[in-house]
Amino acid sequence: MTYNSPLYLFAFFPLVLAAYYISPQRHRSRVLLLASYIFFYSISGKLLIYLLLSTLLIHHTGLWLDHCRSEEKKELAVTQDKKASKAVFAKKRRHILWFGIGFQLGILLLLKYSNFFVSNLNDVMNLFSLKSILPATHFVVPIGISFYTLQAVSYLVDVYYEKIKPDDNLERLALYLAFFPTLMEGPISRYSQVAESLYEGKQIQYKNLTYGLQRILWGLFKKLIIADRLNPLVESIFNTPGNYSGITIIIGAVLYTFQLYADFSGCIDMTIGAGEILGVTIPENFRQPFFAKTASEFWRRWHITLGTWLKDYVFYPISLTKFGKKLGKKSREKFGKHLGQVLSTSLPLFGVWMANGFWHGTGWHYIFFGMYYLAIILFENLTEPAVVTLTNALHINRERIPYRIFQTVKLLIIVFIGELFFAARSLSQGFQMFASIFTGFNWSVLTDGSLLKLGVSIQDFFAVFFGLVTLLIVGVIHERGISIRDRISTWRMPARFGFLYAAIIVVLILGAYGEGYLPVKLIYAGF
Amino acid sequence: MEQLLEILNGINPGIDYETETKLIDGGLLDSFSILSLIPELEDAFDVEITPGEMIPTNFNSADAIWNMINHLQED
Repeated sequence: MTYNSPLYLFAFFPLVLAAYYISPQRHRSRVLLLASYIFFYSISGKLLIYLLLSTLLIHHTGLWLDHCRSEEKKELAVTQDKKASKAVFAKKRRHILWFGIGFQLGILLLLKYSNFFVSNLNDVMNLFSLKSILPATHFVVPIGISFYTLQAVSYLVDVYYEKIKPDDNLERLALYLAFFPTLMEGPISRYSQVAESLYEGKQIQYKNLTYGLQRILWGLFKKLIIADRLNPLVESIFNTPGNYSGITIIIGAVLYTFQLYADFSGCIDMTIGAGEILGVTIPENFRQPFFAKTASEFWRRWHITLGTWLKDYVFYPISLTKFGKKLGKKSREKFGKHLGQVLSTSLPLFGVWMANGFWHGTGWHYIFFGMYYLAIILFENLTEPAVVTLTNALHINRERIPYRIFQTVKLLIIVFIGELFFAARSLSQGFQMFASIFTGFNWSVLTDGSLLKLGVSIQDFFAVFFGLVTLLIVGVIHERGISIRDRISTWRMPARFGFLYAAIIVVLILGAYGEGYLPVKLIYAGF
Repeated sequence: MEQLLEILNGINPGIDYETETKLIDGGLLDSFSILSLIPELEDAFDVEITPGEMIPTNFNSADAIWNMINHLQED
C-alpha cells in the first residue's frame, strides 16, 4: 500500500477519515495512531516492533533527561559549589542523550548499513589477500526508518537543549513518530511543529477538506502524469547504461531529475494534503527548487526538511564544538574574513554532505553525490566575491534576465550531473555513464526514433511535456507568492467545480496506471 | 547594546540593526554570518553559545540577540 495506490486512496484513507470524523475528539488521536500502525504493518509486517521499541526508548530517554534536569535544580538550590554540580549534571545529561541517540542510530546502522560496512571491509581484506572474515547479512529494513530516526533524534536533542518539554504522553509521541502520511517519505517534521495539532483531534472543516483534497490531486498529477510515465525510459537507461551513450545519457539524467522531483514532491503534496484535511500543518519540503540561483539555494528549496535537520543537528553542533570555534577563529585571523569563513565552514559542511549522501543509501555513489555538492558549494562560497567584482567590472546586472538565464542553465547542469550519479546503480557506473556522454555523442537519436524504443511512446512524451509545462506555470505563480487554491476558492461554484472536475479528468486520462502499466514505487520510500 | 550593534555592523554592514526584526527569516544573516558572529559575541560578552541557542528567534533582531546574551550571562 502506497499513497498513490487505489487501496490507500479509495479504501484506507477514506475509512480512516470516516473513523476520525465519527469518533469523539478525545479518541481521534487513537484512531490516527491505530491507522498508522496498521499502515506500517501492511508494508513491513512484524518489523513494527522496531518502531514500537524506538518509541518506548525515545519516550523514556526524554523523561530521563527531564528528571536529570529536575535533580540538578534541586542540587543547585542547596549546594555551595554550583559550578562543580552543573558540570556533573551536564555530563550525566550528555551521557543520557548519547545513549538515546546511539540506540536509535545503532538500529538504523545495523539494519540499513551493516551490509555496506561488512562488504567494504571484506573487500579491503581481499585486497591484502586475506580471507573475508565477516559474513554479509541482509536485514529487512522497516519502512520509513530513515525518516522516523531523524525525527526521534531531533526530539531528543531538542529536549536536551530545553527547546521543548519532554512529552509524558506516550500516545502523543508515538503518533508524532508514526503518523502514516509522513511515514514513507517524510517530510522530517519537528515535534514542536506537529505533535500537538496531531494529538488535538481537530474537527474536519470544509475548507481544510477541499484544500487538502486539491493538494492530494496535485500530488497525483505529478506522480501519475510525469513521474510514472517517465519511469520505463529512466529504468531502461539506468538498468542497461552500456547500451546507450551521448545524448541518450543526457536525456536519461535530465528526465530522471524531473521524475525524482515529480515523484518526491508529488508524494509530499499527498502527505501535506492529508495533514491539511486533519487540520495539521505539515512543513513544506520543496519551494520551486529549479528557480534557485546557486547550488546552496537549490538545497534550501529541495528536500528542505532534510536540509534544515542537517543544519540544526550536524552543521551547528560541529561548528560550535571547541575545535570548530577555534578553527573558525584561527582561519579568520590567518586568512582574513572571507577565506577564513569558507575554510572554517568546510569541516561542518563536510559533516553535512557526508551525512546527506550516506543517509540516502548504502553505495559509494551516494557518498560521491554528497561530496560533489560539498565541492560545488565550497567553490561557490569561495568565488562569490570574485564573481561580484567581475560582473561589476563587466557592467553585468546580476538581476537582469540574461544573467538569470545563465545562472539557471549553470544550476541545471550541476543538478543533472549530480542526479546522474545519484541514480546510477554504482559509482563506477556513474563515471562510465558520465564519460559516455562525450564518447558517443550523436544528435540523430533525437530524430531516428531511438527514444521511442525506451519503453515510452510519443503519447507518453506529450503527456509528460504537458505535465512539465503545467508544473512550470504553477511554479512561476507560486514564486510570485500567489496561492492558487486561495484564488480558486474565490471563484463561483460552477467555475470552481468545473475546474476541479477538469483536473480530475486530466489525471484520469493522462495518468499512467491500470492495465499495461506496472505500479511504480515511491522513489524516496526506498531511502 | 552599542557594542553588539558594532559587532553586527562589522559582520554584515548595510543593515539597520536597530529596526530590523527579520535578520534570519528575511535571509539577511545566513548561517555563515551567524558562525562569524558567535565567536565575536562569546569573546565580547563572556558567554558560551551552544547549538541549543541556534534558533531563528534568538537571532532575528539585535534585541533578540541582546536578550539571548543577557539570558546566557544570568546562567
